[in-house]
Amino acid sequence: MEKIIEVKGLKKHYNKGKIRALDGIDIDVYRKDVMVVIGPSGSGKSTFLRSLNLLEIPSEGQIIFEGTDITAQKVDLNLHRQKMGMVFQHFNLFPHKTILENLTIAPIKVKKIDPGLAEEKAKALLDRVGLLDRVGAYPAQLSGGQKQRVAIVRALCMEPEVMLFDEPTSALDPEMVGEVLDVMRSLARGGMTMVTVTHEMGFAREVGSRVIFMDGGRIVEQGTPDEIFNHPKSDRLKDFLSKVL
Amino acid sequence: MSISMEHMNKIFTYGTLFRQGLIVTVLLSAFTVIIGFFIAMFLAFMLLSKNRLLRLVAGAYVQFVRCTPMLVQVFLVYYAVFGFISLPKFQFLGFIQFERFFPAVVALSLNSGGYMSDVIRGGIEGVDIGQTEAARSLGMPGWMTMKEIVLPQAVKNILPAVANEFVTIIKESSVCYTIGVQDIMFNVKAVQSASFIIVEPLLVATCLYFCLCFPTSKIIGYFERRMRESDKR
Ligand SMILES: Nc1ncnc2c1ncn2[C@@H]1O[C@H](COP(=O)(O)OP(=O)(O)OP(=O)(O)O)[C@@H](O)[C@H]1O
Ligand SMILES: [Mg+2]
Repeated sequence: MEKIIEVKGLKKHYNKGKIRALDGIDIDVYRKDVMVVIGPSGSGKSTFLRSLNLLEIPSEGQIIFEGTDITAQKVDLNLHRQKMGMVFQHFNLFPHKTILENLTIAPIKVKKIDPGLAEEKAKALLDRVGLLDRVGAYPAQLSGGQKQRVAIVRALCMEPEVMLFDEPTSALDPEMVGEVLDVMRSLARGGMTMVTVTHEMGFAREVGSRVIFMDGGRIVEQGTPDEIFNHPKSDRLKDFLSKVL
Repeated sequence: MSISMEHMNKIFTYGTLFRQGLIVTVLLSAFTVIIGFFIAMFLAFMLLSKNRLLRLVAGAYVQFVRCTPMLVQVFLVYYAVFGFISLPKFQFLGFIQFERFFPAVVALSLNSGGYMSDVIRGGIEGVDIGQTEAARSLGMPGWMTMKEIVLPQAVKNILPAVANEFVTIIKESSVCYTIGVQDIMFNVKAVQSASFIIVEPLLVATCLYFCLCFPTSKIIGYFERRMRESDKR
């Protein structure tokens, strides 16, 4: 299988090394992987995910994306980021722009796609998540679940090779979690490569192709959902699962 | 000394002087706010820069502006800076002396820019970091993120303070009469010495300043309320 992201010896330190958010991560993401990252609070899940598109600059180690070391000094990071869609816990939609403008600004201004085409594409994707009628609304007029679906579409409009999700349902009211997970599920079925940090163990079990368990800035255990959830090996994972399941 | 009708009538024969003073004050303030805004933007980016030296220089400048009297700053610019650089001597609009007006605009702008830079810096920093992260994750370069995403949202935080600065400058520009700029205050002095009437010209000036500042701050209040309403949307 084709490797899309290779993470080599990734470390991230804060406060001059006193805090080791990431303490040596080595992992490969393959095309069409649906990698789910789980672990206790503060274990470094967000830091790991945000390092993949260099929102966090690693203290040590390399991120190799489609064969290019994007931690190297002279790479055009913006070019690579276009191919890595990211979805945040708090949506981060642009509040001063309409839904349509949120979806088209990057395709038009960054990828220089014809505005007409960009809008067409945005509307088609918006229709798929059932929000075409909100195309002219502002983010503040949407519910949390709707905002997150728009945020996913915003990333998809750039036609990314991989999608990164950082706890996409954690800021949602319980009744809205399902609608967002549905969109993610259909993305996974459609063959999108995904790396997802989540506390939704049901989603991890059902949709994940691989589950990574992190603790203390390291990957403690990894395997298929069946291996991780039904046959955990390490005590730390067993302990974690006993608390969340 | 009492205020008499007779004095008032006499004062109104100097109407032209007050009108000219009013125009000078308005122009002085308007130029100052506009140029000061650009200086402030420049300083704000220095204050936000990753380069420590730039931050230090801008920070020191802001403190200098804050911790020295406006009058001293005006004198420094007029006598020190434009003592060396000689300006062309001419009048525009028929009664505004460029070689005095220009240094006044420079001094006031430098002052106003210093004050506003901190407001602008705060306004930019007040925009949620998640906005920048979202934009960067879509591949937007830093400058585009600033222009398309951060600044439009920062304006909301900045605009009221900039408008208030306009009111402040209208009032503070009155120190410029000391370097011979023929603003409202200068003409008060002129009328006082020509007519030997002291209080009434001051009353006219009070009235003029108030009539400039009060509507301005009312208009600002209106826009502030409207902006807050669009937030609730
Ligand atoms: N900017 C920072 N400065 C200092 N320490 C930080 C910073 N960002 C993260 N950390 C620390 O790094 C560690 C890992 O943080 P991270 O946010 O990656 O955890 P997480 O697994 O995502 O947790 P959660 O489930 O709560 O989101 C934590 O101990 C955190 O306090
Ligand atoms: Mg996190």
